[in-house]
Amino acid sequence: MNKKYDAIIIGAGVIGCPIAYELSKMGYKTLNVDKLADAGEGSTAGSCAIVRAHYSTADGVAMAYEGFKYWLDWENYLDNVTDEKGLAKYMNTGSILIKSQGHDWKKVQKNYDEVGVNYEEWSVAKIKEMVSVADLHEFWPVRRPEDPKFFDDPVKELEGAIFCPEGGYVNDPALSAHNIMRAAEAKGAEFIFNAEVVDIRSENGKVAGITLKDGTRIDAGIVVNVGGPHSFMVNKMAEGVWEGCNIKTKALRHEVMYCPSPEGYDYLNDGYHMSDGDIGCYVRPEVGNTFLIGSEDPECDPQEWVDPDEFYAGKGGHGKDNVLTDEQWKAQCYRLGKRIPSLQVPNQPKGVVDLYDCSDDWIPVYDKSDLPGFYMAIGTSGNQYKNAPVVGRMMAELIDACEKGLDHDKEPLQYKFKHTDRSTDVGFFSRKREINYNSSFSVNG
Amino acid sequence: MQIYICVKHVPDSAANITIVEKNRIDENLTFLLNPYDEHAVTEAVRIKDNLPDSEIVAVCLGKDDAEKTLRSAMAMGADRGLLIASDKNHDSIETAQALKAAIEQDGNPGLIFTGKESIDAEGMQTMFRIGALLDLPVATNVVNLDIEAGRAVVDCALSGGTANTYELSLPCVIGAGRGLNTPRYPTFPDVVKSKKKPVKKIAFYDLKIEPSKAGMKIVELEPLLQKREPKEIKGDAGEVAKKILRILKDEARVI
Repeated sequence: MNKKYDAIIIGAGVIGCPIAYELSKMGYKTLNVDKLADAGEGSTAGSCAIVRAHYSTADGVAMAYEGFKYWLDWENYLDNVTDEKGLAKYMNTGSILIKSQGHDWKKVQKNYDEVGVNYEEWSVAKIKEMVSVADLHEFWPVRRPEDPKFFDDPVKELEGAIFCPEGGYVNDPALSAHNIMRAAEAKGAEFIFNAEVVDIRSENGKVAGITLKDGTRIDAGIVVNVGGPHSFMVNKMAEGVWEGCNIKTKALRHEVMYCPSPEGYDYLNDGYHMSDGDIGCYVRPEVGNTFLIGSEDPECDPQEWVDPDEFYAGKGGHGKDNVLTDEQWKAQCYRLGKRIPSLQVPNQPKGVVDLYDCSDDWIPVYDKSDLPGFYMAIGTSGNQYKNAPVVGRMMAELIDACEKGLDHDKEPLQYKFKHTDRSTDVGFFSRKREINYNSSFSVNG
Repeated sequence: MQIYICVKHVPDSAANITIVEKNRIDENLTFLLNPYDEHAVTEAVRIKDNLPDSEIVAVCLGKDDAEKTLRSAMAMGADRGLLIASDKNHDSIETAQALKAAIEQDGNPGLIFTGKESIDAEGMQTMFRIGALLDLPVATNVVNLDIEAGRAVVDCALSGGTANTYELSLPCVIGAGRGLNTPRYPTFPDVVKSKKKPVKKIAFYDLKIEPSKAGMKIVELEPLLQKREPKEIKGDAGEVAKKILRILKDEARVI
């Protein structure tokens, strides 16, 4: 006889675990299945785990702001569960958004005002006071080092920045997913690892369960796709789901660099998270007093859409596999080297290469599907780590409401945030939406 | 003093290496300045700081793409570059002959650096072959270097954490070891400056090297399949730290 659960969640990353946690708290018997060996070991582990509020839409800002409250109160969120690996830590560095042509910062500021985000406006002199190593010339437009103009001298100064005292990063993203798994288990959730889903079965037009690679069949009336970069492959396994999505997802290769902080500058303890559209980079401190340098996806950079299985197996060759490239290493480090002229850039690239589960408009799909009982929390596009606990609760309420008869496509669920006095229209994340041109179409969301 | 640094354009040790036709690798991957050569460049810059009239010349035998490695050396402080361009892979005999010929054609070396080895071939021959061709003394795995009164005093690291001290007449050939210094990596302004530095390209065949009767070629390359055997380290934080330190020192030998 097949094993049976109320809900099967495909994926045990930082989004899959909180969905299990919240459904379990609501009384659902859940099972997470993950093809890797432990919670958070997939693309969650490669996340920069940045917690910041600036998004190009008010809904995006509101959700991120709500997310802060969970990270700030991590132990209580986990209901004081014990994790033998210890607890992840939220490092509240504060977050600098450079006013630049690379960010529609006026829109962000408007969103901050609408949502009530606490922020300060910083002059160039104030930035220099707080980030002594910074050169505050304008370097726009973002170019690549292969372009001779990359090396042109700047002429103008920047305008300033918007500083959010609330913002930072989580020091160990994989551990944070593991923490939530332990919290979920304490509420009765089950997890199995090294288990690859190869089929999603349906009967009489409704989802019926999953089949694993070893032939094991597990039944459930609810299946949730939280497959990260594999999300599009999972959707294709479920009858009519892929075809029923107007917004599709794909796996996008992304490189993040570690570069040592300049001598004498204690970036680890004194530094801020900084989002700098003028150079197309975001940075945060990393252990070993290094700068973690991410890309804000400037138009001049190539985009590599890859097969996730090939990628993780190290196949595909230069620029497509899971190894950093010299070209992108130089692009990101030299861009930051313009802002921080004392930054020494080693010859050997060091960092992380992983995949974004990227949607057509870089805004996630948190939705039901055309197959009753099948739900999706996908297309996180490199910008949803911070929202994970909020998404867990929102998805659980969406699933519960739909299972109790809500026609979410016709009357979208209005999700009431638990910590901030605001609601969000979950229809914003619909699979049926048209591409949202308010999006930044980048990791900024 | 003219200081020549023989640098090598090597595959990134983190790259996924694919062997093609049994005896070569697919070169569509990241290449960079051989890490031991970084110590050589850094040391040459330190010497130049004390002897400001010195000139640092980076020399590389390689394909056109190896100019990137010369640019890296120049961003770290070399004044100019010499690229001995060749589409072929050469053995250590031809490599040393080419480097010797290019250096002699270019100037008058007071000091010649190499890395103690390259991380791809790990041949550890080039410095000795250059020394023999030029009739110069050679010291390798050098972890301390003092230039004083027309001679070089060096410490060469041996296994077991010991070192021998030697005195070499100048000019001499120095194989830079990891302990020689901490590489000083370039800043963005250094990179901008280095773009204006000249690279002279010489064709390998224009050096008119007499073919040696002796030779060495790669017959077969085999990928190293490393078996991962995870171990759990138990204990409180202090005990765990001690155990990790012991593993890094005694087993991995990286510190």
